[in-house]
Formats: sequence, C-alpha cells, structure tokens
Amino acid sequence: MKTVHIISIFLVLVLAQLFVPAKMIFDQEKVLTKGVSYKFKTQPVDPSDPFKGKYIYLNYEINSAVSKDTTWVNGSPIYIALATDALGFATVKRFSRTAFEDSDYIQAKVDWYNKMNQTVHFSFPFTEFYMNEAKAYEAEVAHMNAQSDSLPNNTYALVYVFEGKAVLDNVFINDIPIADYVEK
Amino acid sequence: MKSKLSDELPDLVTHNIISEETALKIQTYFDSKHEDAPNRLFTVFGILGALLIGLGVILMLAHNWDYFPRSLKTLLAFLPLIIGQGLVGYTILKKKSATWREASGTFLFFAVGSSIALISQIYNIPGDLSVYVLTWVVLVMPLIYLLKSHAVVILHLVFSTFYASSLGYDGFGVAPWYYLLLLAFVLPYYVSMLKRQPQSNRVSIFNWLLPLSVIITLGTFLQEHGEMGYVMYVILFGIFYNIGRLPQFADQKLRRNGYVVLGSVGTVVMLLIMSFNGVWDFEWDAALFASHEFLMTIVCYAIGLALLIYLHKKRLVQYINLFHYVFIIFVIVFFSGMGNNIMATVIVNLLVLSLGLITIKFGADKLHFGILNYGLVILTALIVSRFFDTDMSFAIRGLLFVGVGIGFFVTNYVMLKRKKAIVTPKL
Repeated sequence: MKTVHIISIFLVLVLAQLFVPAKMIFDQEKVLTKGVSYKFKTQPVDPSDPFKGKYIYLNYEINSAVSKDTTWVNGSPIYIALATDALGFATVKRFSRTAFEDSDYIQAKVDWYNKMNQTVHFSFPFTEFYMNEAKAYEAEVAHMNAQSDSLPNNTYALVYVFEGKAVLDNVFINDIPIADYVEK
Repeated sequence: MKSKLSDELPDLVTHNIISEETALKIQTYFDSKHEDAPNRLFTVFGILGALLIGLGVILMLAHNWDYFPRSLKTLLAFLPLIIGQGLVGYTILKKKSATWREASGTFLFFAVGSSIALISQIYNIPGDLSVYVLTWVVLVMPLIYLLKSHAVVILHLVFSTFYASSLGYDGFGVAPWYYLLLLAFVLPYYVSMLKRQPQSNRVSIFNWLLPLSVIITLGTFLQEHGEMGYVMYVILFGIFYNIGRLPQFADQKLRRNGYVVLGSVGTVVMLLIMSFNGVWDFEWDAALFASHEFLMTIVCYAIGLALLIYLHKKRLVQYINLFHYVFIIFVIVFFSGMGNNIMATVIVNLLVLSLGLITIKFGADKLHFGILNYGLVILTALIVSRFFDTDMSFAIRGLLFVGVGIGFFVTNYVMLKRKKAIVTPKL
C-alpha cells in the first residue's frame, strides 16, 4: 500500500474513532437539554463493570403493568407512556407495542409475561448509575438506612425523557444527590 | 541469548576437534542470527509498556472522579484517544520502527476502549458488554493493516473471542455472528505472515491463538440444539488436525504447530466423552434439521472433507493414521446413533482404542517418547472412563490397571533400548 493510501485510511479511522464517542455524547446531551425530567422510585444495589467501573444497579418500582394480551415476547420492545402522580413521581399512563405521539414515553424491554396475574414485566434502559468506586457500596447502605426512617421510599432516579430515549441524570436520597448523601 | 554451542567453541578448538577458522565461521553465524535480538526485546518491552499504560488508563478512569465536572470528564475521555491517534499518525508518517508500530498500536487500542467506557460512565449508558467490546474492536481493527502490528492482531483475536463468549455464553440465545467477520478480517494478514516467515515465533503464537479462539467460540453458536456441539467439535478438531498436516505446518516442531496438537488432543477428549453410553441419550426432533447448528455442521463437514481431499491429492494422508479421517466415521456414527446408541457407544470406544494403538505405533516407529506416552495416556484414559460405567469386579479392574502400568514400563524400556542401540552402533 502507498503511504498516501495508508494515511488517508488512517485519517478516516481517526474520524470514526472520534465520531463514535462524540455521537454518544451528542445523543445523551440532546435528551438532557431538550427532554422532560421524571422521578422514578428505585432500589439500588452495587455491582461492578470491568471497564466502566463501579455502578449501582437500580431496581425500579415501576416494572410491570396489567395486560390481558398474552402474546408478549421476551426481549421485545414495549413503549411506556409516562405521567406523574400527586407526589411528583413517574407512573405508567398507558403502554403499547408502538411508540406514542401525544405523550412522553420510554422504549423499555419485555422481561416476561405472568399468566397468573396477567401482568407484563419490563425493564427500563437506565438501570446503571456509575459512581466513584468508594461510594457505590456506601450508596446501597445509605439507601437501606434511609428506608428505615419515617418516609416509605425516598430514593429516586431523575431521568430525562425525549422522543422515546431516556438519560439517567442522577439518583437522590431524600432529595440529596446520592454521591453527596454518602459523603455526609 | 547465546547458543550453548558457541560457549563450547574455545574448548573444541583447544582439543583440535575443529579448526580456528571453523570456530570463527560458527561464531559469525551465531552472531548474525542474534543481531536483531536486542531490537526484538525492545519491541516486547514497548508492547508491554503500552499494554500496562493502556490498562492503567482504563482502571484510573473506572475509579470515577465524581468531583470533576461533566465537561472535564468528557475532555479526559478524549485525551488518551487523541494522544494514541497522534502517536500512531506520527509512526505512519515517519515510517518508524517495529517497536513504535507495536507500542503505539497497543496504546491506541486501549485508548479507544477507555474513551467509549468513560462516555458510558459519564452518561450512565447501560449496555451489553458484548456490544461495547464489538464497537471497540471494530473501531481499532483497520490498525492491523495500517500498522502491520502483531500486538494489535493478538489483541484483536483476544477481544473478538471475549465479545463472542460474552454474547453467546450468556444464555439469551443469541449467536455471535459478527465473530466470523472479525476472524475473516485477520486471515489475509495471517496467511501473508505464514508465507513470509513460517518459522518465526510470531507465527507460532498465531498457530496456537487462532485455533484456540475458534475452539472457545464454537460453543457460543450452540443455542437451541446443544447436542450438535458434539459433532461440530469433533469435525472442528478433525479440520485442525488436517490443517496441521498441510505443507506449511507439517515440518514445524510440535510446539509451533498448535493445529496438530489441539486437533489431536481435542479429538481424543471429544471421543472419550462420547464413549459414555449416557451421553448418547439425545432427544431428536425434526426442528434440528432446520436449525443454524445443523447448517453450520454441514459447512464444517464440507470444509473438513475438502481439506482431506486436498491432502490426499498432495499425497500427504497416511491412511493408517486414523486422526486424519476419524471425524468422517464419527459423523456417520453420530447420525446413525439416533436409533441405536449402544452400537454407537461401542464404535466410539473402538475408535479411541484404535487412536491410542496407532499413536503408540507412531511413537515406537519414530522413537519418540512423547508420542509413545501420549498413546499410552489415551488408552489409560479410555480404561479409566470405562471404570465409571461398567460393572466389572474390582479384581478385574485392578488387573487392568496393573496391566496398563506394566505396559507403560515395558514399552518405554524397549524403546529406550532400541534408541540406545541406534545411537551407539556395535563395533
């Protein structure tokens, strides 16, 4: 191969290598700036990723909906339209196999269908919140301690939603960001 | 790394075994051979350094510096990437040495991975590990041809295998088809390396790494019909054995010929597993013949047959050597074993027995202790396996063990005597 060709291919590669992370940032920033924020009640646990570091895994209280339709396929997309309750937490307004046009919605994934209770169980695409390695486990403990106080569940995730995409911005315990709460 | 022989040269000259002139010639030969040794060592350290720095960067970023603002963290995500790209660009433009190519390629490899990982961390993007690793490998693989870097090829193979394993073995029923493309991408590089420097250590590494990667990954394609795995692996090991007998590999030492070693040992292990009657208890259904596992088996079988025909035309098949074509017999037994698994079990036991005996014969003919004892190990493994599923009395089992033990001693002793007789001919 001639050096000119090698250099041209290399330049294309450089652009591709820069484009992928840049596109990831752009997509997330778009949701954060243009999206609407919702609070999702959650329960954190602490696992770890070999490359991305420690994160808390978030189990959401909204994880199923009553459905008479028994043909839900595991792993298939389910669109959840959102509303907020009196306390300002996200609730399921309706759900469907197709996207909504008149409401904020999130594309989630069907986990399984429970025939006994006639409920479809699903998971949101924002279950991982990355934290400082020293704080991830502490966060789980802090959540458990916060649970034992007077309020029922005061841990929630702040999620921005825009055109079906969702970006997890932060996790709060008693309205304090979890990273700050742990330091207390 | 000097040769032992060159240390002996002064002594040989003193005792008038060789002339000073010959000693000088030998010394010059060894010196020329090792001229590039320091360079090679420097390259190895270069790769190791870049590897450690790259991994270190990933770990440091994984710590999650949460008091940095998001903008600074984003900038940090791009920093190693841009440094890596700069180094690789400089290496290409200035046509730098192999050390530069290997080290800068290795560093950029990890910089790309750390960059994507950090962005995912900053924005809490959850993701399958397999998708992340696939994106990473695809973004780096052109470097193989741009830099002609062996380290990048090794990393490419390791991480492609990692991608396939994390996707295929997680139990969600998805086969890692992209692995085949990732593998095909490195093949031209490997073939050209085989042609240029078949005896080099670098090629030997790939002679092991490539088959190992395929062995690890083949299982990830087994989703609905796991039972096809038995037949697919036996065919695969047959293919590897026959690849190892191609002219490009046949003359290599065993330690450089991963294909023959893995092919042979793999065949024996698979057949030993299939020599248990209980394993044959499959439930066959018509859906099997429409599955991708069945299609893959046919493709592998066709490759195996084509390879065998090629070897036959080049007169490289020793017909006494069952290892060449045992996979053909096994496929017939496997599919006929659907109805009669007792017969299939008996035939597989006979196949292992024959492989053991043939290996012992080869070992004895070549006066090679390694091969001889490998044959004996095959027989022992077969006997030990049969102890688990037969109702033989302890006395007979004991006698069999003693018999095999005596066999080990006698065969090795007889061969040692034969070897001595050849090395020291009678005067």
